[in-house]
Order: sequence, then structure tokens, then C-alpha cells
Amino acid sequence: MTPTMNAQQGPPTPPASFLNVSNVQKSFGGVAALTSVSFEIRAGVVHGLVGANGAGKSTIIRCLAGIEHPDAGTISVDGEEVEIATPADATRLGLAFIHQEMSLIPGWDVLRNMSLGMPHATRVGIIDWRPARKRAKEVAARLGMVFPLSTNVDTLSTADQWLVLIGRALMQDARLIAMDEPTASLSVSEARRVHSIIRELAASGTAVVFVSHRLDEVSDLCEDITVFKDGEVVKRVVSDRTSKADLVRAIVGRDLVIPDRGRQPSAHGRPVLEVKEVSDTHLLRDVSLTVHAGEIVGLGGLVGAGRTELARVIYGAARASSGTVRLDGENVRFREPRDAVDAGIGFVPEERRAEGVFLDRTIDFNVNLARLDSLTPSRFWPYLNLKKGRKRAQDAADLVTVKATDVSALVGSLSGGNQQKVVIARWMVEQPKLLILDEPSRGVDVGARAEVYRVIRELAARGTAILAISSDNEELVTLCDRVHVMAEGRFVGELVGPEITEDSIVSLSFARHVEKEHAL
Amino acid sequence: MSSQPNVAAVAPLIKPRSSFGRVALVTTSKYGTLIAMAVMILIFGLSAGNAFLSVNNLLAILNQSALTAIIASGLTLVLVVGEMDLSIGYAASLAGVLVTGLMAKQGLPAFIAILITLAVGAGIGTVNGLLVTKARVNAVVATLGVGTVLIGLAFGYTAGSPIVQVPREFTNITLSRFAGVQDPIWFMLIVLAILWVVLNRTPLGQRMQAVGANRNAARLAGIRADRSKIAAFVIAGVAAALTGILLASLLGSGTVSAADGYLLDSFAAVFLGAATLRDGEFHIVGTLIGVLVVNIGFNGLSLVGTPTFWQYVFKGGILVFAVAMSTVARRYSKA
Repeated sequence: MTPTMNAQQGPPTPPASFLNVSNVQKSFGGVAALTSVSFEIRAGVVHGLVGANGAGKSTIIRCLAGIEHPDAGTISVDGEEVEIATPADATRLGLAFIHQEMSLIPGWDVLRNMSLGMPHATRVGIIDWRPARKRAKEVAARLGMVFPLSTNVDTLSTADQWLVLIGRALMQDARLIAMDEPTASLSVSEARRVHSIIRELAASGTAVVFVSHRLDEVSDLCEDITVFKDGEVVKRVVSDRTSKADLVRAIVGRDLVIPDRGRQPSAHGRPVLEVKEVSDTHLLRDVSLTVHAGEIVGLGGLVGAGRTELARVIYGAARASSGTVRLDGENVRFREPRDAVDAGIGFVPEERRAEGVFLDRTIDFNVNLARLDSLTPSRFWPYLNLKKGRKRAQDAADLVTVKATDVSALVGSLSGGNQQKVVIARWMVEQPKLLILDEPSRGVDVGARAEVYRVIRELAARGTAILAISSDNEELVTLCDRVHVMAEGRFVGELVGPEITEDSIVSLSFARHVEKEHAL
Repeated sequence: MSSQPNVAAVAPLIKPRSSFGRVALVTTSKYGTLIAMAVMILIFGLSAGNAFLSVNNLLAILNQSALTAIIASGLTLVLVVGEMDLSIGYAASLAGVLVTGLMAKQGLPAFIAILITLAVGAGIGTVNGLLVTKARVNAVVATLGVGTVLIGLAFGYTAGSPIVQVPREFTNITLSRFAGVQDPIWFMLIVLAILWVVLNRTPLGQRMQAVGANRNAARLAGIRADRSKIAAFVIAGVAAALTGILLASLLGSGTVSAADGYLLDSFAAVFLGAATLRDGEFHIVGTLIGVLVVNIGFNGLSLVGTPTFWQYVFKGGILVFAVAMSTVARRYSKA
């Protein structure tokens, strides 16, 4: 039954095959999403699923979760063929799924969130919490939760919220936990915690399926890796180490060349954005920063360091309590984002689906939104020239290489990378003086990421000042001429040109913590 | 397109079982209300014959629908931006007594009285909009409160008794016909056309749609969300005032609470309309269809001699049924 590996002496039994996917096919409206996919998930092993957006990872996950049904092929658990018709079937088989969007009930405490979906013990119809609490305590101890079960989940950090979701899965005796991009919104230290939790889960016999775009993480964490491309499995790694470069080659199907910074950081023009000693009421303290025309400045640091807050102050989406912001040498104080847009600033928000795009709307609607007035003959005859709008949207979309048949396609039908390009295209309609990008490539696959970078560079080359916030330090290294690192609402350091390395950013991010420990 | 007129190219379209069901579901979700309307026209046409299908009766149905359609199209914009307006019925009632009172009590010419009343409608909308956006009062609470205040103002202005000395030129506004079609129908068509253009062909309308779809994303795309919302409330207020004015002209008097009933009628129409042609989006053409469905039903039922109480059962029934059908059908067609 179980495929026996080479005779090892250390662990007495090699990890048993828990779940088998064989020759699964699935197509949507004639378009194949999965063409005969097979792989094996072993108990007690972290299994990475990687691939570009649209490669088929989510489709296979949805098939396992009982949300989609394969057109052909079989899924077996413990060697027995099973049919997963509904999510409840999946739960019964011990399969748990933790999705990208947090599925916690806000305002509820940890215990109620963890026991969500479980049948409750009742007495005359009234919930008896004692069995659930007892079980939750066991799970909490196993996961090393340091907060009490009565904690309101809203007050937990993102990593701890993940812990609660994993706890919920364990409450239901999950034997396999699938996680979709668990570390996407986590800082480096939080991600490390999630990694150690995942390792412990696997060590205790649970199979973990780990879907991520962060390939360093995948090659570091996963013992088995399955690479998807265009609905097929193109690479299988079993009990082996693999380099990130190999993974990229498999995902993209070719060697990916991310062009180096071709320009010297000194060759910049006038200062476009000058932030001087800006503070807000809760986090930012005397932050100063300058971005020149044609320069790409990165903002690095841990999540919660105040980078997004600073961007929002500059863009008029939040208020500063003191300090000044100058744009092209003039003092500005924007009351709302529109004022910033009128002054020539563009903003690509962090949460693409919640704050960036309108999924149910067309590409041209999304692209034209910030500059509608220039599509009308005059203020007094505000009749939109839709034809001109479509042409303009098409031009902007072409500039950033949005892949879609037509600008009348719904943005919701595009991949994450293309959605991100649509948001960037919005600011290509009229070239902005300053473009602020918050996590420009979050949820964007490797191939599209390189294209997003190229677009940002081209924009800079044409004289736009770029301020890019990123928690992906590799991205900062690839993209930026200069990087400011923030921690706890302050600037802790600046890196220029060759000084910008992942190590230097990380050590600056943590510098403040170290200082504090010394001070104590 | 290819030179071979082959069957194989067509075959995949006629996929087994699921395909037909899917088409049926999509059709129901988008065209259910229209199908219901067609079925009613067919049934009433067969059972009541010429009494129903005559040009005069069809014009009468449109005339009946005109005022509801005007007030409901204003309400549509408020729902597009994701808010509610419960004050429109009371605003229309106040407009009715105000426009007649300004002529009868203050002796103003009809034209001036109408302009002032429309301005008051805009003012009511502004207050609603400011309360909802700047003071961040929940729209249901804000507009219910404002509406209740308006009832009081209407009573105060008239001292409770109807205003009946209305100049002929004012009642003539709704009595005459142009090209054989009653004036209220023309007013309806003009207002609907204007609001359709506003919603679909102006920057303001695009912004309203964006704000309604996702306020936060709209704001970060550089849209003054509050302004778009206030504009929607102002338009709803003006549409309500116009309805009140036209109703007063039709009745030849200004009566407190004469137009209150338009509130529920217009909500019914707007939600029926949102279940038509588009996936749960509020839109002007849908609203018109919503109003027509209700009025065709009313008209037909009374022509075939159904007792009045059935007409209300029909009105409530079709609203709930149509919206439920389209929601269910949409869900299954996507699944």
C-alpha cells in the first residue's frame, strides 16, 4: 500500500500516503483548468503547491474542499476512493481549508471562533460550553497559544488570528490542513512563527498543504512540492530540497530574467515629494522623506511599522497631526484623496480586492475612474465620451500589458496580476508626478511580477517619482534606487544603491528592537 | 465562419442536461420580471380583450405609472450609492401643500411656486445627504427622522386643512395632452431620460456607481464619495418634490399626506427593477419596468373585475416572488 522509501534508520516508519489525487480533470466552459493532475500528499509532510495565478492550484484545492467537482479522475483518502460532494464531506474526511481571506467572526472570542461549525453539546437546548472549552484548551496547548480563549479575535495580531483558524481545523480532528498564502500579510517575524507552527503540525502527523507565491519560503519549508503550470503538474519534488531558481524555471517555463537597475541613483531630477517631520496621533513620529523625479524609493520594515499610514497621510486618506508635506516645492495638505489626485499623485492600495479594483465592473470603468472629467466636453456639458474612454483605457491597459480580450471584460474575470495592472493602468491615463504603490506585487504571480516591475521602472524613467511600500524585501532590492526602513512609526535607516540587500533591510527593521533591549 | 458548415462546431454548444437548465436559470434571473409582464399582458389581453389592449387603456396605465416612476427613479440613485431614503413620500406630500399654498396663500405665480418647491426638495435632499455623510447617521434613521419632521411641517403650514384654491394654469399642467399623450407621461419620460443619462453617461453617475459598489475603493481612486452621495439625495429630493407638485396639479389641491403612499410603491418598483436585466443592480430602466409591472397588474385585475384587496395581494406577492426568483436563479446559474 504505502510506497516504501529507502530503508532509513532514524524515523521508524516513512510518512504514509494520506491523500491521492489521480488523473483529475476539470474544465470550465470548455476551457481546461486541470488536465489530468496527479499527486500524492503524505501524512506528516508539508506539501507545497506553487504555480502562476491561474495555473490550477486553487482549482485542485477547491476540488478537495468539495466546492468544485472534478470532471474525471479520482481522489482517495487512506487508499480508499472518496467522493467529495460538499464541504461537509471534506470536513468529515478530515480535510480542513484555511483561505486567503480570514474567515474569523469579528468581535467573537477565540473559543467561539474555534468551535464554529462544530456540533455543540446542549442541555435543554442551551449550549454547554464545557466540552468545547476542554477540547479548545487541548488544541491551544498543542499550538502554544499564549492568549486566553476569551480574547476577542479583533485584538489579536494577524499571526495569532491564523493560529485560531488552525485551531479551528484541529478542533475538528483535521488530518490535512490546506493553507492558501498564509504568510502574505505577515511580517518577517510573524511569518517565522507561522513556519514553526506548520513544522510542528507536520511533526505531529498532520499533512499540510501550503500554497504560496513566496518561493524562498516554499523551498525552505516544504518537503514535497508540486508545481503547476497551465493546469498540469510540471514538476514534482518528493523528499528533496530544491532551489528557488529551479522552482521559478518550472513555474514560468523558462529562465526568468529580471532586469537589473539600469540607472545610477545619482541621476535624479528635482525633489517631487518632501515629507518633513510628519507625525500622526497614534503611530508616526517625525518622519521625513524625499522622493525625486524619476527615482524609485522603497519603504521597508515590518508590518505595523507605519509605512501604510505614512502613505495614506501623503495621499490625503489620513491626517497628520504635525509636520509638512511638499509637492514640487509647495506645501500641500490634502483633505481627501481627490485633492491628491488633482495635484498629480496616484495610489495603488495594499488590499487590491477591497480597496483597489471594482471586480463586478469592466476594465475601462476601473481605469477611467480617476479621470472621468477629461472625458466630457466641458464641466457644463458633462456627457461622457464612452468611445474615447474605451480607447483611453485600452491604451493605458496596453501600456501595462493587461492580458484581456477587451477592455469591456469584467475585472473579476482577470488573474490577480492582471487586476493589479488594471489598478496601475488607472494612473497611466495621465502620468502622475508621484505614484505610491503599497505592496505592488502581493498575490501577483512570478511572471506577472516582472512585468509590474518593468512598468514601474518605465514610469520612473519618464520622470514620475515612485514610492513603493513592500514587505517583500527581495522586491525592494530588485526595484528600488533607495530604501527607507521604518520601525514603530519612525525612520530607522536609509539604504542607497548597492547597500540595499535583503539582509540590510531585515537588520535595520529589527534594529530598533535590539536598541530597546539594550536600553532596558 | 469557416467554409465547412459542420455540425461539430455547433455540437459543443448543445451540451448535455446542465446547459439547458443553466440557460433557463440565467434567463429567469435577468428576464423574469419581463417575462412576468409579458405573461400578464397576454392573460389580460385574452380575458379583457380590447378593454385592456386599447391604446387608451395602455396610455392610462402609463399615466398611472408616471408619478411613481418619477419618484422611484430619484430613489434609484440613492440606492445606487448604497443608501436609503425613507423621506421621499413625505417630501412629496410637503411639496404638494407647499406649491399650492405658495399660490393660494402667498399669491405667487405658478412658475415661481414650482421653482421654490423644487428648491425645497433639493434642500431636503441636502439635509438628508449631510446627515448621512457628514454626521454619519444611519440613512434609515436620518431619512425617517427628516421625513417625520416634514409631516409636521406640512401640518403646520396648512393648519391641517387642504388647500383648494388652485389657479387653473397649475391644474392644466397635468390635464393637457401633447401629441395625444397625457402630460404626466411626458414628464415621466423626460425625467427618466435625464436620470438615465446622469447615471450612465456622466462622470457623476459613474462615480455614484463606484461609490455604491465599494466606497473605500472609490475614495482611494480619487472620488469624493460624500459628494456623490449627497448628489444622489438631492436628486431624490427634487424628484420627490416634482412628484408632489404633479400630484397636487392632478388633484387640484394640496393635501397633507397625499403622497405618502409613494414611498412603498417606489421601493417596490426599484427592487423589482433591480431584479430585472442586471444582477441585482439598481438601474433606471429596471425601475420603469418595476413600476409598469405593478400598474399593469393593477389595471388588468380591476378590468377583469377582481376585488380591490386582491390587487394588494398581487402587488406584495409579485415583489417578493420576482426578487426571490431572480436571487435564487442567479445563485444557481453561478454555482
